[in-house]
Amino acid sequence: MELVAWLSCGLLGLFSSNPIFKAISHIILTKTSYRKGLAFSLSERVLECMDKLAQAGIKIWLLTGDKKETAINIGFSCSLLRQDMKQFHVCLSKETESKNQLKDMKEEILHQIESSYQVMCQDNNKDSPFALVVDGRALEIALKSDVRGQFLQLAVNCASVICCRVSPKQKALITRLVKKHTGKTTLAIGDGANDVGMIQEADIGVGISGMEGMQAVMASDFSLPQFRFLERLLIVHGHWCYKRISKMVLYSVYKNIAFGLTLFYYEILTNFSGDSLYDDWYMVVFNVFLTSMPVISLGVFEQDVSSDVCLQFPSLYRQGQRNIIFSWSRVVGWILNGIVAASVIFLANVYIFSAAAFRQEGHVADITQFGAIMYTCIIWTVNCQIALIITHFTWIQHLFIWGSILLWYIFALAYGALPPDYSQRGFKILTESIGAAPLYWVATFLVTIAALLPHFTHIAVQRLLSPMDEHIIREMQHCKKDVTENQMWLREQRNSQRSTQVGFSARVDARIRSFKEGLSLKRISIYNKSATNTPFYISWTSSPLFS
Amino acid sequence: MSGHMASSSNGGSGSGDSGAPRRNSKRPKYSKFTQQELPACKPILTPKWVVSAFLIIAIVFIPIGIACLLGSREVVEVVERYENECIPPAYANNKVQYIQSSVDKTCNISMTIPKRMKKPIYVYYQLDNFYQNHRRYVKSRSDKQLKSLKNENDTSSCKPEHLATNGSTIVPCGLIAWSLFNDTYSFSRRQNNQSLTVNKKGIAWKSDKQKRFGKDVRPKNFQGGGLRGGGDLDATIPLSEQEDLMVWMRTAALPTFRKLYGKIEVDLEANEVINVTLGNHYNTYSFNGKKKLVLSTTSWIGGRNDFLGIAYLTVGMICLALAIGFTVVYFVKPSYHSWSEALICGAWPRDLVIQPFYHGTEALDRTKNAFWISFDGIHLAGTSHLICNFNAC
Repeated sequence: MELVAWLSCGLLGLFSSNPIFKAISHIILTKTSYRKGLAFSLSERVLECMDKLAQAGIKIWLLTGDKKETAINIGFSCSLLRQDMKQFHVCLSKETESKNQLKDMKEEILHQIESSYQVMCQDNNKDSPFALVVDGRALEIALKSDVRGQFLQLAVNCASVICCRVSPKQKALITRLVKKHTGKTTLAIGDGANDVGMIQEADIGVGISGMEGMQAVMASDFSLPQFRFLERLLIVHGHWCYKRISKMVLYSVYKNIAFGLTLFYYEILTNFSGDSLYDDWYMVVFNVFLTSMPVISLGVFEQDVSSDVCLQFPSLYRQGQRNIIFSWSRVVGWILNGIVAASVIFLANVYIFSAAAFRQEGHVADITQFGAIMYTCIIWTVNCQIALIITHFTWIQHLFIWGSILLWYIFALAYGALPPDYSQRGFKILTESIGAAPLYWVATFLVTIAALLPHFTHIAVQRLLSPMDEHIIREMQHCKKDVTENQMWLREQRNSQRSTQVGFSARVDARIRSFKEGLSLKRISIYNKSATNTPFYISWTSSPLFS
Repeated sequence: MSGHMASSSNGGSGSGDSGAPRRNSKRPKYSKFTQQELPACKPILTPKWVVSAFLIIAIVFIPIGIACLLGSREVVEVVERYENECIPPAYANNKVQYIQSSVDKTCNISMTIPKRMKKPIYVYYQLDNFYQNHRRYVKSRSDKQLKSLKNENDTSSCKPEHLATNGSTIVPCGLIAWSLFNDTYSFSRRQNNQSLTVNKKGIAWKSDKQKRFGKDVRPKNFQGGGLRGGGDLDATIPLSEQEDLMVWMRTAALPTFRKLYGKIEVDLEANEVINVTLGNHYNTYSFNGKKKLVLSTTSWIGGRNDFLGIAYLTVGMICLALAIGFTVVYFVKPSYHSWSEALICGAWPRDLVIQPFYHGTEALDRTKNAFWISFDGIHLAGTSHLICNFNAC
């Protein structure tokens, strides 16, 4: 459900630090969750969903309680397994199972794991991937602490992992181990009561409501009515959420540094006595009324690309997995931006409103006017800065940004109208002293532009030298290239699809490869059979079909 | 993709395809707001925008900078530092002792007017290294007491400078009032000894006169605390007319500040010499502060301050340079937009773009799939597509 996913993503993202913020790397799902759509039209969507998730760089494991043959069939049907994949089977043979000697069983499992791992290491061919099929009994042994490490190493390097005959406790155990071993964010999706342990263990648990009751739903962080909505939840909303939260946090750091540093700089000029540059109430309303609403609108409405582009370019999701937007370099960059903005604002104001008069009537600026003028510059700078980083402007963003600036003037007027007992330094500040001074407006204009110039130059240079994926996509859309040059648009889509080993597009890839190989074999045989100098042959081989 | 509508009923059949029309649908009401489909403008930073932004800033800033510079240049300002000159040679090493003694502190200096100064000419005194913005100092006042007589004893924020030696309250109390500046200046033209009147009315803010300083409050026991910090106040004049006090109590923001002393309402000619007879009463020698006397005209921009004009010109020039720089760079290294156009007509690397397309019915049947193969780089009249059907590859 669109609304539920959106709000939960937003709220969850706001109040928790980890789950949606870091994009998903692993999905653990149970058989029944995809079986939702056995009717053909919906299973198509499920296939599409799993394909997109694989293209987005998410690894998918399948845990089921069925026996091995059924599990393998399910794997084939949802393209987790392919004919050309090498399958490693880790299972106990009948004799060792009947003897029930722990030591023997461990040895056998270990032997199987090690030999599979060796095979994997020796085979350098990227095109034939590996799949791991593990039996429930073998899993129990393999998850014991001494064997665990090797098993997980093997499993994590396989393109897909299918576990059959898994008990609910083992599902939870596997989830926990994968989480710990890889250190990546995991998502578990299931629909039955036996999936509850797994759902709660994973970083994000998704429950599918429906046939088997609501236990999974009640234990989960998100609930969906159908499996296919997972695609939209992750690739659209997860991606947006990541961008939104990163931008919000970085901007908030910048805003408060820009504001607080001016106070610190002023202390240098007060002999470090602690006098504050601004009136107390100015400081109260700064973070509460005057700069909070644009940030909220950024966090709720920001979209770097539209939802259909997100779905067409699933590899945009990988930006979240690689944590590009919230890396240390970005944090430091925004802190520096805040420092530069504060320095520009402070120094400019100190030199502009130096000892000489600031009005034609000869009055000199004292602490009340100085503070109010610097505060105005900060409000303008900080709000225009957020206007520079927002990429998706609705009427709400415009209202909040320009409204916040206007609110400052309204506040100054209202505060100044209070009797001087209450308004202290702010008494009639706009109406009497600075409002009518041309120097005030001229200085605000200069300081705002000068404080934003470094950042603007930086993003212009960045767009030129190293544009990010979404910049290129948006530019193509802006120039209507996705419509006029459809082939290039598709080509870029293709380039964005990470080469995966699972999913039906990988299956198609494998098919094309085998087709090409077959054609080249045929070409060789034609070459050998007939004269090779005929014009027909030359034109045939030089056509693009045989590139 | 934006048409995903969840239409599942309450825990019923899992397939959820459209069934009877009167199903209990849980679909939320569609609105653009909740589905995040509000109309939006998505600005893109194309080269055109970058260069035009810098150009516009340059075009707007440079004239403003010139105007500000001209406005500042038309201000005539004469500054004369006097606190060292006005110490008689006998006390050259004992400045503090001199200022605290009761020796006659009159001093004569002269100021030369460089250019014609039109009236009104503002007279300021400038203090350096005087921290009127020190926190302890700033808090040491009682606004209530200043405002009305009935609050005369509301001196909690002035402590401990609130009581005179005889135990009664000081009005106005606090450090700010106590340190009132008390140098005096009188001006005369040298050539004909004509004295210039200094208008000391109208130098304080109107809001101070009307709202902050009461008409019924008169100074009482001022400088009666044993230690003298500055000047005296006439006990008969109400505070709302004590403009020097009002100007002084508007604490300055920076350690170097000027305060308005008065206005001269006549023109002064160029090259005129003005004799100033000043009373050097105020003690800045204890903390190495400087005292300066300033005569200044004003323009629309206020006093003389070249910084604003120069800053505008600097930023305008920088933006102009950036605009030119970016234009050059964009020609040398075109952005994605123009790059792609060059490629379409020229050498397009050959690649097959496969777009799988399923005939809805048996997607799971691996043996029957239809493929579209389209060629890049070959722009024929329409598009060239080949459809191949495979069986059991």
